[in-house]
Amino acid sequence: MTYRGWIIGGAFSLVTSILLSATALAFGDVGRGKAVYEKHCQYCHGRDGAGDGPAAGFLNPPPRDFTLGTYKWKTTPFDEMTPSDDDFVRMINGWASHNAVPGWDGLNDTSMPGWSDVIGDNDIKAVIAYLKNLSGLEAPVKPPIDMKAKVAPSKESIERGKKIFADVCSECHGDEGRGDGRKKLKDDWGARTWPRDLTKPWTFRAGSAPVDIYARVTVGIPGTQMPSFADPQSKKALSDEARWDVANYAASLVAPYKKPGEGTVIKAVKVEGALPDAPGAQWNRAAFESFYLAPQMIEGERLFTPTLNSVSVKALFNDTEIAFLVEWDDPTESVPGDESVMALSAGEVFLDKAAIEFPASLGRADERPYFGMGSDARPVDIWLWQNDGAVRSIRARGTASVEDGPDKVRAKGAYEKGAWRVVFKGALKREWKDGASEGIFVPVAFGLWDGSNGDKGAKHTMTGWNYFALNEGGGVSPYIWAIGAVVVVFILELLWFRGARRGRDR
Amino acid sequence: MRIPKLAQFIIIVAVLYALLKAPGVFLGKPIPESLIFMYMVLVVATVLLVMTSTDESAEELFSPIRALVQDPKKAFARNIVFVIAPLVAGYIAYGLSSKGMEPPAELRSIHPAPLSKMAAYGKRFDMATLENPLRATETEDKEIFNAYVAEGAGIYFKNCFFCHGGKLDGRGHYAHALTPRPLPFKGRDTIAQLSESYVFWRVVKGGPGLPSEGGPADSSMPAWEDKLTEEEVWKVVLFLYDFTGNRPRERAREGK
Repeated sequence: MTYRGWIIGGAFSLVTSILLSATALAFGDVGRGKAVYEKHCQYCHGRDGAGDGPAAGFLNPPPRDFTLGTYKWKTTPFDEMTPSDDDFVRMINGWASHNAVPGWDGLNDTSMPGWSDVIGDNDIKAVIAYLKNLSGLEAPVKPPIDMKAKVAPSKESIERGKKIFADVCSECHGDEGRGDGRKKLKDDWGARTWPRDLTKPWTFRAGSAPVDIYARVTVGIPGTQMPSFADPQSKKALSDEARWDVANYAASLVAPYKKPGEGTVIKAVKVEGALPDAPGAQWNRAAFESFYLAPQMIEGERLFTPTLNSVSVKALFNDTEIAFLVEWDDPTESVPGDESVMALSAGEVFLDKAAIEFPASLGRADERPYFGMGSDARPVDIWLWQNDGAVRSIRARGTASVEDGPDKVRAKGAYEKGAWRVVFKGALKREWKDGASEGIFVPVAFGLWDGSNGDKGAKHTMTGWNYFALNEGGGVSPYIWAIGAVVVVFILELLWFRGARRGRDR
Repeated sequence: MRIPKLAQFIIIVAVLYALLKAPGVFLGKPIPESLIFMYMVLVVATVLLVMTSTDESAEELFSPIRALVQDPKKAFARNIVFVIAPLVAGYIAYGLSSKGMEPPAELRSIHPAPLSKMAAYGKRFDMATLENPLRATETEDKEIFNAYVAEGAGIYFKNCFFCHGGKLDGRGHYAHALTPRPLPFKGRDTIAQLSESYVFWRVVKGGPGLPSEGGPADSSMPAWEDKLTEEEVWKVVLFLYDFTGNRPRERAREGK
């Protein structure tokens, strides 16, 4: 080969290898992505990515079908189908900030966990390449939307956002943002969807900061009826500033008390005189404790598509009675036969219900009944309210053995703008009353039914065992203890000082 | 330069306290407060004992404190200490007394000893000798083994996954509605410490089948015997070990 031949050959192979490695970099290692996918993703998303893995039929929301290339949580503009690589990383790894709170570490309130601890930086590139390959997506042509032009969440901005919200958002999200819209929604895959309850930002799939909400409002949620409000073709198009305003308003709707924490104890507060029959100022003395709900998927007809995800409870008691205020967000007031309700419902409409469960008798702390309606040896008592006004007391020894219970229960509920508030009242059981002077913990669990979601009988949502605590308040206030400690230490100091001076004078 | 005895005392106690606190701050694995309190009582007592072993060193240790009260030149420092000390005491008293009511402690054993015999699927299993009947395929016929694992995965993701999670880390979609939380299979703390027959028992009999020291009601785990067949449970067990890379604990084979 000639001298020139060497140069040309060398240059050719150099260019080829650069091109090849650039291609490999751009598209990642599809084969490696496939291996990770088959280990971790296929059980929900399906072997071929069609969203049809073994778990798919049981998930709420359903797992994404990757063969269509439609992704819900992206920051590229509404007219750009492909998410940015950063969007993919966030969808797969989750929003790291949520690791610090009890709850979900991936896409919130879904079965998609955050994978950052399992899939490393290199592998995630390979997985992204593989996912894009499933639907033939290439690099996005348009860059992500500009999220810097931020309008600060000032009072004025929130006020402006509130007006916009009432005009364009409340039809689906409800007047106060609790997801109690007047429109039945479906996604492109045919699944019933419910608009997000904006008072619970910890359930937002893809972040709850104003900038995240701004991205949703600007880009829309592809595949769902949440449109882009930046699309100039849309009748509902909003200016950039208006979208920031509405994002700021939506972020301001958070109701922190509804967020379940690690706490398991509802502290009942002692009051003199009669207990309230309805929500009102008298309840302000007690604090809400909130709990996550799980759908019942153990016995009988199982529920896999719950619409309710948390319940908040407070309690008051006097010498003879206890009252619980049970509050939960429910997108619909389920009145069987009501046409407007039927129009929103997924199918036949049943009653909304709420139940409180206690052990029929308190054994040792480690001898609670089974939370799923107890057993023969350890029965439970259940207080049940229905939105047709019926109230029952039940004693259950397992799901198959249910009879009228010994408790006299009254209950009254009211539905307002996406929230049920039900007040239960019943006599203190003797064991509770006896323990109250010392302080006593009584196991308690809750069950809820959303009749418009087909919840009926065994199909419902529930909590595990928690406690309510009765304490007569005989204990000394922490402030008294603090003042006492200050006084005692100061007196000791004075005595010492006087003793020292006397010693010196001598 | 010689460090004064009192400063030595404070430094030693502070360093040891920091050491006890370090695992909690840096590794997220805190030593229980009650244990730290016990250690600190021992530390303070020991250091005091050593430092007051001779009269001179005791004198050196306490003289700055005595001087603070007796020496008129130190009146300003004394006044500051005399104001701060009661406030600190008040703060601590407030903190101790305003602690929320704590729910009863869970005294259950998470992995109690299994019963010697288990009745299920119309027969009695001898827990001492029970083995996973499908395990042998792992060495005999890898293809069949892999098929069992895949079936186990399918069963897991249709039944267990909602609580125990897609990462098998005990953090499924509905895990945090349950108390106590579902256990993870990932990591070396759970199934890696157990034999397959134990895991089989826990799945088949669930929370209600726990002996009393296991706190049968302190578990939301259902008994799966009327929902999954014997073979299905064994397949899930194969999957749990295979997916997490854990090995079942081998039974000690004495007398064989």
